[in-house]
Amino acid sequence: MNPGGKKESPQNPQQQQADVSRRRFFTLMGLGIGWGGFAAALGGTSVGALRYLFPNVVYEPPTVFKIGKPDDYGVGVDNKLKKERQIWVVRNERGIYVLVAICRHLGCTPNWFDDQKRFRCPCHGSIYDVTGNVVGGPAPRTLWRAGVSIDPVDGQIVVNFNQRQDPDPKGTDEGLMVDEKSREVPPFFLQV
Amino acid sequence: MNKLLDQIRENVTQTQVWKSIFRHGFPSNDANRALVMFSNVILHLHPVRVRRGALKIKFTWCLGGLTFFFFVMLAVTGVFLMFYYVPDTRRAYNDIKDLGTVIYFGSLFRNLHRWSAHAMVFSVWMHMTRVFLTGSYKPPREFNWVVGVILLVVTLVMSWTGYLLPWDQLALWAVTVGSKMAEATPLVGNAGPFGPELGMGVDNDVRFVLLGGTVVGQSALLRFYVLHCLGLPLVMALFMAVHFWRIRKDGFSGPL
Amino acid sequence: MAEKETTLGTLPKRDGNSGGLAALIKKSASDKMGPEDHVLVWPNLVYIELISMLFATALLLFLSLISPAPLEELASSDTTPNPTKAPWYFLGLQELLVYFDPWLAGVVLPSLIIVGLVLLPYIDPNPKGKGYYTFSERKFAVLGFCFGLALWYILIVIGVWFRGLDWSWYWPWENWHHHKPITGGLVDLEVIIGKTLGMSDTPLVTLGRYGVTIANLITWALFLGYYAIGFSVPFLTMRKFYNTLGFVRYNLMMFMFLSMLGVPLKIFLRLLANVKYVLVTPWFKI
Repeated sequence: MNPGGKKESPQNPQQQQADVSRRRFFTLMGLGIGWGGFAAALGGTSVGALRYLFPNVVYEPPTVFKIGKPDDYGVGVDNKLKKERQIWVVRNERGIYVLVAICRHLGCTPNWFDDQKRFRCPCHGSIYDVTGNVVGGPAPRTLWRAGVSIDPVDGQIVVNFNQRQDPDPKGTDEGLMVDEKSREVPPFFLQV
Repeated sequence: MNKLLDQIRENVTQTQVWKSIFRHGFPSNDANRALVMFSNVILHLHPVRVRRGALKIKFTWCLGGLTFFFFVMLAVTGVFLMFYYVPDTRRAYNDIKDLGTVIYFGSLFRNLHRWSAHAMVFSVWMHMTRVFLTGSYKPPREFNWVVGVILLVVTLVMSWTGYLLPWDQLALWAVTVGSKMAEATPLVGNAGPFGPELGMGVDNDVRFVLLGGTVVGQSALLRFYVLHCLGLPLVMALFMAVHFWRIRKDGFSGPL
Repeated sequence: MAEKETTLGTLPKRDGNSGGLAALIKKSASDKMGPEDHVLVWPNLVYIELISMLFATALLLFLSLISPAPLEELASSDTTPNPTKAPWYFLGLQELLVYFDPWLAGVVLPSLIIVGLVLLPYIDPNPKGKGYYTFSERKFAVLGFCFGLALWYILIVIGVWFRGLDWSWYWPWENWHHHKPITGGLVDLEVIIGKTLGMSDTPLVTLGRYGVTIANLITWALFLGYYAIGFSVPFLTMRKFYNTLGFVRYNLMMFMFLSMLGVPLKIFLRLLANVKYVLVTPWFKI
């Protein structure tokens, strides 16, 4: 304040008050910058650490794949790709759709019972009918249908596991239902 | 003969080495019994004296101490298991098989680890019940109860992460189901209430960060391994230290 | 070293006391009993601990020898074992998953249990029953806690011993390799109400994806009414109980307690009336 040891001139009270409030302002500003910077550094590091935990590249099975020609699949539920691709290929009178073999309850793989015409999940007993509607058990939504298209070059069905049809079901006496017509639309249905 | 034994004991306990390790005499008198508590870091978890009532087996059933013992047992057997286990989806299952078939005492260590884990979950739960029934969470011990709840949660998460490591069907599906629950977390899970509305998808939600991917695969195994063997034990040790220190400061509960 | 010896030298050797150190301990201990009620930890407690550790080791070794850890087939994501069971301590949760959606059974309810446990010492103002077993001095606390424990254990027992193929209910004497027939579907409460009262299911108002019907509003009223009545009945009839707790404690405690009671309530609704959800919105279902 007075480094040279000069004689301090008496100041009027107003000047003194201004000095005090100015000093207070600078102190607060210094504290603000200091603690603010500290908090920002801490916050930035935390966000960075959190972001670090989300990988940018994952090494997982392909999510878009070919499953052969439409003629390979007859009417009904085809169980043979469940092991390899976690899907069921279903053909009805109108065409083909692909159900994802992941229970909507907790991700177990349901089993197809051809005699009962039902998918039943071994984990918590969810039951689905052939269209994927929930007809029993705790599943909150209907089975996903994966995106399907025809490769124009070799005519094979291309399944896109990333595209999932997931409409809001309606609660009825029989269970959770979705209007079948609204589901049989591209890209989730092949009219072949 | 006695004289000879005395002489040997004298020669051992009077050496500089012995004295540098043990700073108390044999705890055969009260002063040394007190001193042993002060100068031994492990025994220092105890006070010098406790109320007579706190010693009754029917009061504590030794449950807190046993839980700690199971933790130590798990740490020791766990380190042994780590010598033969590689957290790689192509190897893990066979490594566990090897433990049971080609490694001397391998199955013993694995069984001990498994039973200690079951025992620890059980004793932690029983300990909590006991502490509730004796009202030992009442002031001034409220915060230590909270620390205890945290320890219970960490114990359960440790069991769950350990469950995946053998990479068998039991492991995979228990963790698949568990991680699906994470997916259903409100706000931060892609299948939870208001999750999709907030932009959560399979590749940016809480399940994704837990598994390090969208399926229970190699990265999930590695993450669980690291958490199980390193991350969570460190957290556990930290909270155990606080838990024990608080007991030591507040003493055993008892009627005033 | 010299310093230590002089300290030791001044301590009385065998006076039934800890050599003056007990005075130091007593200051930090919370109780105010005389030294005659205290005993030395060595040997009294240390030996109990040693013996219990030996017993525990023996037990672990015995269990390890008679019951080896299981190892099933190599993990494969295309085949789910039937039934799939979590470790026993999570089977209570897994059983809850039959009755509640995963966000509730797997996330919210466990979190509520943990939060409830954390809050417990802060919402129990009763100074009695500290440091000894008693039922008569804290009936509500003990009954409430034991109710929760019993619920937890019953669910675990059901999960371990009564759930078989497809997570169906199996008695121990039944054939556990035979699938149970499919039972009738489950119905939402609003559907039951709408059908019984003969209401149309055209929505009154539509909020985005949410079509609010009269039956849906009734389920909201029932759900909120459960909490409203639960909160007000003790407040109106047991004012002394409310006064001992105070506003904040009372509300926290009642919320936890009513939520805990709600769990078996929903289970009964499911078992008696095949109710799937009590409350349905597009975003969450209870």
